[in-house]
Amino acid sequence: MNRFELLNLLQETIQQEFVVCNIGLPSQELYKINDRSNYFYMLGSMGLASSIGLGLSLTINKNVISIDGDGSVLMNMNTFATIGNRAPANYTLLIIDNGSYGSTGDQKTFTNERTSLKDIAAGSGCENVIECSGEETNINLKKALADKDNSYVIISKINSGNVPIKPIPLNAVTIRDRFRKKIGLVSYL
Amino acid sequence: MKISKKIITNLKSGGVDFFLSVPCKLLANMITILENDKDIYYSTIPREEEGMGICAGAYLGNKLPCIMMQNTGIGNSVNSIVSLLQLYQMPVVFLISYRGTPGEPVGAQGGMASVTEDILKTLRIPMLNCNNEEDLDKISTFTNHAKVIESPVAVMLNFNLMNND
Repeated sequence: MNRFELLNLLQETIQQEFVVCNIGLPSQELYKINDRSNYFYMLGSMGLASSIGLGLSLTINKNVISIDGDGSVLMNMNTFATIGNRAPANYTLLIIDNGSYGSTGDQKTFTNERTSLKDIAAGSGCENVIECSGEETNINLKKALADKDNSYVIISKINSGNVPIKPIPLNAVTIRDRFRKKIGLVSYL
Repeated sequence: MKISKKIITNLKSGGVDFFLSVPCKLLANMITILENDKDIYYSTIPREEEGMGICAGAYLGNKLPCIMMQNTGIGNSVNSIVSLLQLYQMPVVFLISYRGTPGEPVGAQGGMASVTEDILKTLRIPMLNCNNEEDLDKISTFTNHAKVIESPVAVMLNFNLMNND
């Protein structure tokens, strides 16, 4: 299973939820599969998907899912410490770990070698850290969203590989405003 | 403590209701105040760039966030300021302990101090330089200005102002 197939598989679970999606191909694939106003597509700031979702989850009483990647989260590893100490129960971090920097040509990341995101998350204080296959991801994500008492970190181990795709044709403020409208904060759209 | 109390009061009256900090001894009194303030959200964070992301999310959820940090934190955060906060037009208040300004005992702080304002100018981030107590009266209006222009703004707290608190 690659990322495009996994994102397809997850739609029934995530399409009603607030999702912050990682920059580059993850967002472009998500847009192509099922564009939703409750999906916040990152157009810059690689590494911060987990942090943006965390900030949102601290301020609204709804489920928030950050979809991150192994390469991206390795850029912002302090995020695990903040999540381990501060994440509220409505927060779920889903790391799609395909062992590669997909958007830049599938160069390998350190999760291919000795680095375990699961161990980093657990050592940082995150509870409910689940490492699973792509096939098992949907059921674990459903469990995380249904649990109103705990936050989760799910690391989905899949294969690298991308589909031919174009940049997202939405500008940043449009993404911002339609997302905030869905939260109930924008009335003019 | 008087100056720290005044800064927090003015930030809150300007609408700030979500605070993060990477510590500095010049921010220590404000951190103590915020840790005991039940009206707002406050947390320490490990790194400023990460804080820019958390602030972006808090803004999406209708908060006016403030990130407290040394001026060195601007250096750690340039891409996240430009390709997240400015790209999506998100108001965030940077409350900056301006290390390396006169009174600073640590010579090595002079380097980042000498480039901080040039970086903020290049980023076109409005700055409020606070050198004395009267300057603090401008914080509330300046903070609200961030919301109006949908942009980060920087409140700079010079060394001697905070060192005497």
